Order: sequence, then structure tokens, then C-alpha cells
Amino acid sequence: MAEQAGSVASLAFPGSRSGETPLARALTTPQGRIGARILLVAILLLAWEFAPVGKGTGFWLSKPSLVAGTIWQWILDGTLRVHLQATLAVMAEGYVTGCLAGIGIGIVLGLVPRLHRVVSPFLAGFYAMPKIALAPLFIILLGVGDLSKVALVAITVFFLVVTNTIEGVRDVDRDLVRSLTLMGATRVEVIRKVVVRSALPWIFTGMRIAVRYAFTNTLLAELIAANRGLGFLIEFNSGNFNITGAYAGIAVLVLCSVLLTELLSRLEARVSRWRG
Amino acid sequence: MSTPSQQAQSGARDSVVGWQVALGVALLIGWEIAGRAGAARWVSEPSKIAVKLWIWLGGPLYVHLAATVTELVTGFAIGASLGALAGMMLGRSPVAAAVLRPVIVGLYSVPLVALAPLFIMFFGLGYLPKIVLVGIVTFFLLFFNTFSGAQRIDEDLVHSMEIMGAGRWEIFRKLVAPGCAVWIAGGIKTALPYALVATVTGELLATRAGLGLLLSQAAEQFDMTSIYAVLLLLMVIGLLLSEAANRIEQRVLRWRQAAE
Amino acid sequence: MDQIAPAPTQSRKRDDPAKIRLVGAGKTFQVRGTELEALKPVDLGVGGEEFVALVGPSGCGKSTILNLVAGLLAPSAGQVLYDGEPVTGPNRRVGYLTQKDTLLPWRSTADNIRISLELKCRATPRAEATDRVAQMMELVGLRGFEHHYPAELSGGMRKRAALARTLIYEPETLLMDEPFGALDAQLKLLMLDQLQRLTRHRRMTVLFVTHDLGEAITLADRIVVVSARPGRIRAVHEVRLPRPRDVFTIRFSEDFARQHERLWDELKDDIIKGTDV
Repeated sequence: MAEQAGSVASLAFPGSRSGETPLARALTTPQGRIGARILLVAILLLAWEFAPVGKGTGFWLSKPSLVAGTIWQWILDGTLRVHLQATLAVMAEGYVTGCLAGIGIGIVLGLVPRLHRVVSPFLAGFYAMPKIALAPLFIILLGVGDLSKVALVAITVFFLVVTNTIEGVRDVDRDLVRSLTLMGATRVEVIRKVVVRSALPWIFTGMRIAVRYAFTNTLLAELIAANRGLGFLIEFNSGNFNITGAYAGIAVLVLCSVLLTELLSRLEARVSRWRG
Repeated sequence: MSTPSQQAQSGARDSVVGWQVALGVALLIGWEIAGRAGAARWVSEPSKIAVKLWIWLGGPLYVHLAATVTELVTGFAIGASLGALAGMMLGRSPVAAAVLRPVIVGLYSVPLVALAPLFIMFFGLGYLPKIVLVGIVTFFLLFFNTFSGAQRIDEDLVHSMEIMGAGRWEIFRKLVAPGCAVWIAGGIKTALPYALVATVTGELLATRAGLGLLLSQAAEQFDMTSIYAVLLLLMVIGLLLSEAANRIEQRVLRWRQAAE
Repeated sequence: MDQIAPAPTQSRKRDDPAKIRLVGAGKTFQVRGTELEALKPVDLGVGGEEFVALVGPSGCGKSTILNLVAGLLAPSAGQVLYDGEPVTGPNRRVGYLTQKDTLLPWRSTADNIRISLELKCRATPRAEATDRVAQMMELVGLRGFEHHYPAELSGGMRKRAALARTLIYEPETLLMDEPFGALDAQLKLLMLDQLQRLTRHRRMTVLFVTHDLGEAITLADRIVVVSARPGRIRAVHEVRLPRPRDVFTIRFSEDFARQHERLWDELKDDIIKGTDV
């Protein structure tokens, strides 16, 4: 089996000696990797821009330059700001509400296992339901404004956070609780000092995962029925067969998602540093 | 003869079930009363919902149920198999891993379900846009999981297989694929609920048939009973899907559980 | 698909009686952009049916030599020859046993042992394979554990299963990289004894890496001392202890002690200097 540098097969099914091809060696350096990625993205963008396509395909494909132009237009005339703010507002409100409810109820359920056992199949049932299906219901009950969207996001976040919080509270070291009680601590003190403290990592995990769900569900809610927001932008342009506009919306979406993820991981790194 | 502690345990279990039944019944009764007392505009009544479901199950439901299930299963099957395959193949290639990783991680963070309107624009109102949406969402989730798994495959295992004379395809079949099975199962567990969300979202936006259509039609007509009926059905489907995913995971983890 | 390398012609064999030969073979690795010389060019020959031990401090390149012979690495300098032919890929004529038992965790013990017989290059009909697996399991003392998963076996049992898996396809050469390092003293002696019997019975060529001098002296015909990184061959010692050797009592013989002392003298400088792995 000679070294098959450059053969596609060796990319998919590399053997032991594949790490020794010049390509692989170049990629061991960080510069090599970044260079390769930039090259990849550049090739894709150029291909998209200059691909020789007929009128029909051209309509559906659009071009990066046009898309960029639309985004620029949006920045200039404030469209972007308006919609991004709307999305952010709904997301934040829903997230905070959901977290507070989730943590509060999670702690209670965690502390009263009996109650949790009784309630858990009901929780499981709701958890399994695709929350987006609640959108039409909420719109009828709460109107077409922001409230229905916030409610949707809040419920999604709630289920996530409550599950993690319950786990965290249940995970508490019984011995620790017992020894503190023997020292004379009241129930409330024990809860504050031990239970909540040791449940924190779980709670944080839940909150961390919930951010992404909040983002996703805000967008989904805006898709279904809204007149503002990033999701609405995408839906509106798609509905009008404005391909470039739809792509522009998606591009903004991708950018925001990446920024959000990056922000979250930086935050996480910070938090874990001072927690040791 | 069961021991006193066993009897105590089963007694405790019975009481939990007892409370659950009591809670369920209390909720239903409360709901019914609220509905009859005038809040039916918002909450309908369990009795009416039950009747509606009964009528639906007599016939009209199946077209929509079939549509939703078809879209879900087709999209999932295609997306999952392609995603797992791609994950396994690329995960084993250090070249691909080094270059693609940040791109994939970046894309993974994008809520792909938001692309639903795009696909409807492309593919119209039939099954296809939903299948494509479910397929893409599933693909990425499975790809990411399987990719991680394939990267973690012990090189020493690969070496020993090569020495024994395994060809590349044999290594794939006997080492990489079973080695990734755990990750694939995990990916399926994550992806199934998402697939359902994608299907319902697509249907809510625009469709000719499906549970989402029932839902949006009911909403337009302020038909609360039907809305709740559909929600109940979706809950059941969701539960079935997660049970299925759990069973798959159990099966795959047999060898791990043997050690515990 | 890939095939086993064709057997060399008779005339080749007569030219060079060595089964394994390294000619100026060296290895340099690229790690994060810098070069790391693991093995300086060395010359080494291992004759047919010979048992050669490689000893030296940790990280000195013994394993690199083994991997070169196994074909898992390509030499950066010089040549690696097996039966007179250069090694250009994973060497299928050898068996390879490492410290880590590379059993597949999702296969039962019997299925693990059977795996080499499932491969295309030596496909064996099911019935015959089952027989041979049973024989092998009997040989290594694992009868009764056919359906157990590796996670359910003790370390020593997994080692024996790995040995069975390696021997079942009857390789003519065995490459071993500190295979018994993780076992307790009793078990180690048992395995050494078994290894000696099997390799003599089947007339195998063995290249055996260890840091345990006693192990080396007990089993080997020759001991190659490798110096600290970058690895060089410092010396080659002949082991003149008569065969067959009783693994359990040979440690108490004077000749053994003398040989041990000589080797230790050779190595202690390197070990005391401390190798930075």
C-alpha cells in the first residue's frame, strides 16, 4: 500500500502513514490551517459569484455581491437595527422569564422529591411536545404582539432549566446537608449555603444550553407570526420570492449565531477560570 | 414472600402512582369545569377534545398523520444516514478534521430550522421542503456527533487491524462504524425531537396536508378544541419518538452495560 | 483490495538470512512544526527464529524501531527490510502485541479472537474459524469466556485474549511492545513461559521491546541496548543461557545474575541521567 498522497480515497479512509503526506504536514501548523480555511471560503465565494449560470438558475442562486449589497442597504436604512433589536428583546425577555421560573420551580421540585415523582410524567409529556406547536395557541391567547413570542421562548427555556436544576439539587451531597444540620443550621440556611451552591454548576449548564434554544425559538416564533425580527425578515423575503433578501437574512442569521456562540464560550471560559 | 422493605417500596410506588392519577383527574375535572364556566373560548373542555379526537380517529386524521410522519421519517432517514457516513469518513481524516472543524462548529450553531421559509420558496408546498429541512437539520446533528466519535477512535485499534491485514473498507466496517455506534445513537436521540420541530414548523408555514395544517386551520377558525387535540397528538408522537431513541441507545450500549 | 506482499524468491533469501533488517534506518517526526529525531540511523538484523529483545530507557526509540518493522511508520532515512523486501505499508506477515490490549470492546472475546480470520486477506470458512478460535482459547486458558465482553475480563485475561488473537493467524514473526508491563509478577512469569513455549514450538521470529532486563534475559537470544533519545544502538549482547529455559527458576542462576549486571551497567547511566519523554 504505497502512500497515496492526494488521492481521494486516502482522505476518506486514511491509513497509518497518511499523516506523513506533505499536505498533512503543512496542516500541523496553525498558519497552515488558517490558510487552508481562508482558501476554502474564498474558493466557495468566488465560485458562487462567478459561476456561469443561466437566467433561471441565476435567479435562484443570486450572488454574494448582491447579498452583501442588500445587507449594506439594511444597515444604512436602519432595517437591520430594527429587526435585530426586536429579536434580541424577545429572546432576552423570554430567556430571563424562563430561567427564573425554571430555577425557582426546579429548586422546589428538587427539594421535594415526592412532588417531583408525582409531577414528572406530566413534565416529560410536555417536554416531548414540539414547543413551536404552541405558537398558534399563544397567538390566540396572547395576541399577535411580542407577548406570545416571549411566552413561547419562556416555556422552552423553562423546561430545559427546570430539568437541569432538579438534577443539580438532587445531586447534593447528603452528608454535607446532614453535617450542617447537626451544626444547627436552619432549613433555609442549609438550602442557601449548601444546596443552591452545589446545584449551581448544573443550573449554569442548563442556562447555557437554554441560550441557544431561546435563540432558535425566538426565530421560529417570528417565522410563524410576527411583523418584526430576524425570523420575520427571512420569512417576509421568502414569501415575496425575494431570493437575495432571503439570503441576506440568512447571512445575518449565521453571523449572529456565530457571534452568539463565540460570546457564550468566552463567557464560559471566564466563569470557569474564577471558579477554579 | 416479599420482605418488609420490598413491601414498603412497592407501597411507596403505589402511592406515587395514586397521586399521579389523582392529579391527572383533578386537572381534567378542573379544566372541564373551567371550560363550562365560560372560559371555553380559551381552554375548551376535555370532553369536547376527546370527542374531536374520536371523530378524527374515525377517518379524517390519517391523511394528515401520514403526511407528517412521512415527512419526518423520510427526512430523518436520509439526513441521518448521510450525516453519520460523512461524519465517519471525515472524522478519520486529519486533513479534513483540521480544516473543517471550525467551519462545522460555526455552522452547527446556526438554527437551521429557520431556513424553512427558504425551502418552501424553493420547493413549494408539497412534502419536499419539509423533507429537505428535516434532512438538513438531522444531517448536521448526526454529522457533528459522529465526527466527534470518529475522531476519538483509538489509533492503536486501527494499527492492530492494519497489521492483521484489514483493508481500508474492512477497517471502516469492523472498527470505525461499530466504534461510532454509540455516538450515532446519541446523535439520533438529539436529532429526533429536532426533526419533529422542523416538520411542524415547515407545516405551520405552508403545507397541503399534515398535523401542522390542522393546527393552523384550527387557529384561523379559533377552534380551540382542535388546537388542543393536535397538541395532544403531537405530545404522543414526541413521546413515541423519544422512547424509540432510548431503545436504540439501549441496544447499542449492550456491551458497555455488560461491564456495569 | 490490498493483497499480501508476494513472497520473495529463493535466491533473495539466500543472500540475506536475516528476517528483519534495518539498514541505516532512522526516524524524525514533525511535531507542531518542529522536528523531533526519535531514532538515529541504526543497523540491525534479526535472523529467522531468533528472539531479540530491545531494552533501554523510556522514550528512547525502541517502539519506533518496532513500528518501522511493522510498517506503521516510514523511515526518514535508510531502509527497513522484511525477508529482503522493503516494508512499504502495514506488514501483514507479523503479529503485533502492545501494552494496551487492542480488543474491540463491542465484540465478545470469541469474536475478537476470530476477527483476523474474517478479513479478506485470509478469509476462513465459518466452521473452520470457529474450531480454531476454540483451540486458541483452550491454549491460552480462556475456555468458557467466549461470550464475555472485554470489559468483563480481568487485565490478564484480556492480555491472553490479545495473544490468542495475534497467534490465531499464525504469523511467522511476532512484534511485542512491552506487552506484559501492566501485569502482576506472577501473571507475568506465566505469560513469559507461555510465550517461550509458543514461539519455540511454532519457530517464530520475535522482536520484543521491554524495559525489564530480567524479562529480556529470560527470553532472548540477543539483547539490543538502545540509548536515550535520540535512540542509537549502544550495544548488542548475546545471551548464552542454555535452552530450554525454566522461566520460573532461571532468575536464581549465576549466569543470569552476571548477564543482568552487565546489562545494568550499560543502562544505568542513561536511566540515572533521566530521560525526558
